[in-house]
Amino acid sequence: MLDFSTVLALVILTVGAACSLKDVRISLATSLLALAIVLAAAVSTPQLFMYVLLVIAIGVLTVFSMSVKENQMSGIDYALVALITVITVYVAYTSDIAFVLASFVIASVPTYALIFVSTDGKPPHVDVAIKYIAFMVLATVLFIIGTLLLVYSSSVKDTALYTLGFVMLILGLGMEVGCAPMHEWVPDVFSAADPLPLSVIASITKIVPFIAAYKILLLTSLPQLSNLTLFVAFIAVISMFTGNIGALTAKETGRILAYSTVANMGYIIATLAVITSKNFLYLAFAGALLQLIVNAFGKASFFASIKTDGCSRPLMYVLALSFIGLPPLMGFWSKFFILTSLVGAGLVWLAFLLIVNSAISIPYYLRIARNLAKDTVPGKVTAIALVASAAMLITVLPPNWFINIAKMVIGGV
Amino acid sequence: MMLLYVLLLPFVVTFLTPLMKPRLATAVSAVAFLIPFAYTIYGLASGLVVKIPVADVVHPIGRFYILGDQVSFSFALAICIVSAMVALYSLPYMAHRFEEMGRELESEYRKYIFFYNLYATSMLWLVFSGNFIMLYIFLEISLLASFLLIYMYGYGDRRRVATLYFVWTHIAGMLALIGFLMTAAANGSLAFDAIAKIGFVAWLLIFLGMIIKLPGLGPHVWLPWAHAEAPTPVSALLSPLTVGLGAYVILRAYLISPWFIKAYTMPIFVYGVVSSIYAGFMVFRQNDYKRLLAFSTISQMGYCLIAFGLGTYGIMAVIIQYISHAFGKAILFMTAGGIIANYHGLRDITKMGGMHEYIPTISNAALLGFMNLGGILTVGMFGEFFILKGVVDTFGLDISTILAVVFVFIISGLYSFYTYKRIYCGTPAGYEKVKVNRLLDTPLFIIGIVSILLIFPPLAAILLNAVKAVIAKVAIATIGGVAP
Repeated sequence: MLDFSTVLALVILTVGAACSLKDVRISLATSLLALAIVLAAAVSTPQLFMYVLLVIAIGVLTVFSMSVKENQMSGIDYALVALITVITVYVAYTSDIAFVLASFVIASVPTYALIFVSTDGKPPHVDVAIKYIAFMVLATVLFIIGTLLLVYSSSVKDTALYTLGFVMLILGLGMEVGCAPMHEWVPDVFSAADPLPLSVIASITKIVPFIAAYKILLLTSLPQLSNLTLFVAFIAVISMFTGNIGALTAKETGRILAYSTVANMGYIIATLAVITSKNFLYLAFAGALLQLIVNAFGKASFFASIKTDGCSRPLMYVLALSFIGLPPLMGFWSKFFILTSLVGAGLVWLAFLLIVNSAISIPYYLRIARNLAKDTVPGKVTAIALVASAAMLITVLPPNWFINIAKMVIGGV
Repeated sequence: MMLLYVLLLPFVVTFLTPLMKPRLATAVSAVAFLIPFAYTIYGLASGLVVKIPVADVVHPIGRFYILGDQVSFSFALAICIVSAMVALYSLPYMAHRFEEMGRELESEYRKYIFFYNLYATSMLWLVFSGNFIMLYIFLEISLLASFLLIYMYGYGDRRRVATLYFVWTHIAGMLALIGFLMTAAANGSLAFDAIAKIGFVAWLLIFLGMIIKLPGLGPHVWLPWAHAEAPTPVSALLSPLTVGLGAYVILRAYLISPWFIKAYTMPIFVYGVVSSIYAGFMVFRQNDYKRLLAFSTISQMGYCLIAFGLGTYGIMAVIIQYISHAFGKAILFMTAGGIIANYHGLRDITKMGGMHEYIPTISNAALLGFMNLGGILTVGMFGEFFILKGVVDTFGLDISTILAVVFVFIISGLYSFYTYKRIYCGTPAGYEKVKVNRLLDTPLFIIGIVSILLIFPPLAAILLNAVKAVIAKVAIATIGGVAP
């Protein structure tokens, strides 16, 4: 059912993008239609429906954030964003390594075009775009080679090769999403490029790489894996500190958001250290996935707000407080799941460092909210931020259902 | 089930009051806390213990349930009456504050009353939480609401002070959270009735977190800033109610697994005495009325630390000390606010003197407040009595510990009346006599009267019997408790 509708959605997106040369609105309509088809297909798997709904919501928000201002590729960009969204849904359903890898590539490549987006007839920042693409290509190659090495070495039980594959996979993943010390591209791109494509690049594209990494590591796991998780923990710690200290000292909002992304990716990659603990794996993955969703909603709204020089005050504060992790907002539960799984797996020191970092992050999230807050003006950006803030509030009751989603996504693997 | 409805009342009112006019919103808020107040007295008198299941959370966290026992009711008693009275007091005070900030009363008051009620309600729910994570959630909500109130309406460099407050108390909460999570991993649940034992590291983290919140000497740096620069009605909740909740969390952990406090009685006792004496001396040096009261809070919270180590009577003292400090400090912060509102931001004690001439009602209320702090003829008397009883029970007739505690009490009494003399007596400083708004003094007297009524029957009997019921529980926990 989902396979069929995914193909259908891809066809519709292609046709829509082609027709957009005639009228941009056609592409907008077909993109939304494609997302609606995928959502309708997801009804047949009610266990995953909430995940699909949240991802589609992020997808629709990012499509709308691309439409805040006309750009030179208006029309095609909607289709590209919708394509990434469809793949983000699809990757949760598949457990075939080839499809997982294909999803990883498909979620990454459309951003190579999106990064060139510029508005108001200004020339695109080609140097920044080239830098971004160079890093992404390197990351993708590392990830793919790492995966292949993992697959091969797990079948022949070669531990040395397995270690190499694992390290390459993690480095590729880290570079793709922007974990320190492979985060070089993040601050430059985030502060120089146009905010509109960044609302896509900083948000929804981060989800697929992590799901892919989880699935690949679980499919190819060897007993060796438990010795390697310490490597991930170190990357996580470096990333958290680099990100938070960088954000604390940055001035422009775009740069603060860039470093905040580095820090958030640190929190998320930390959960990979729990991957060998049978009891807490699902909790860790649930935390990671929920944090990715919080990050996606928040970053999409923040970047869209930068484009219009601000957005409604209460909405900005709700999003910032969710990032800080105040209950009962969604950002609390994601961090809470991550912390619980870390403590449960015996990584108390890592949990402790995460908490130190979450305290460091308070001042700069408040600064982001203050920089972007202004009196309410009805408009597209306010609508985007409103939906994102509403999503942060759906977890007023403890989100147990999310653990079941996590089990469904990686349980079959 | 009755308890659930009583607790839901302020929660619902929180969301309704922003829709009302300021006067109505204030009245409704006060009533919404007075009804739970009446219920807590009923709960204390009838020895009620209720458990209402709320939700089932994922595996290591366990059930969320509402727990109404004698400890909860005792703490709720103070929270309800102070919240109700400060709500009444908020109206004239915040009208003055908004005027000073050049903002419009009606629209600003909607925001204010919403966060005020959210803040008070979250504290009320906190003491009825039956699961550490539920408790943590309300701790953070109360932090958020109080932070926003300081951030929006505070004095001085309010944004910086609010952030300072947020960072410190967030670290405190998060440290405790790791402690809770470690307990969860070891016990498979965080429901109060399902935890067998809290391990060493977990206890240490919870204790350290709550020491920041309480605060003890050392991590107390944030408190004088936050409490002095907050708008006064918020100070009148922060200082009396919120910081003491640190003691509540330690008390809950103690009732479940008391070994940590028992093993480290002496260091905790000494730390409490040192904090209390240090902060007591600092009070003499302050010239800002609100900052002075903030230091006095640190000194008073030292009492709680002292009391923790003192066995069963110490636990009685912790509860009574919380109530008496809440009453006293709420009254005093409101008197400080009364002077600020009537004399255009007057906070400097060196410019006061003989204020009794100009604002006799506020001055009399302040006397009641200082009597609470000093433990004279108010419920604070019981607190001091039980601490001394606990000292004698724990250390025997050891003259040095008794002297240390008596010295702590004497300093509190001294700075209380020294401050009273500096502000309200002596040569009049030459201000105009003003007509004080009824809502700026009546609520203070109501709290004062409740405080005095609590040392006479029947209320005294009700409170002490309820607290004794807690003692019985401690005794059981001690027998069944596990050594480290």
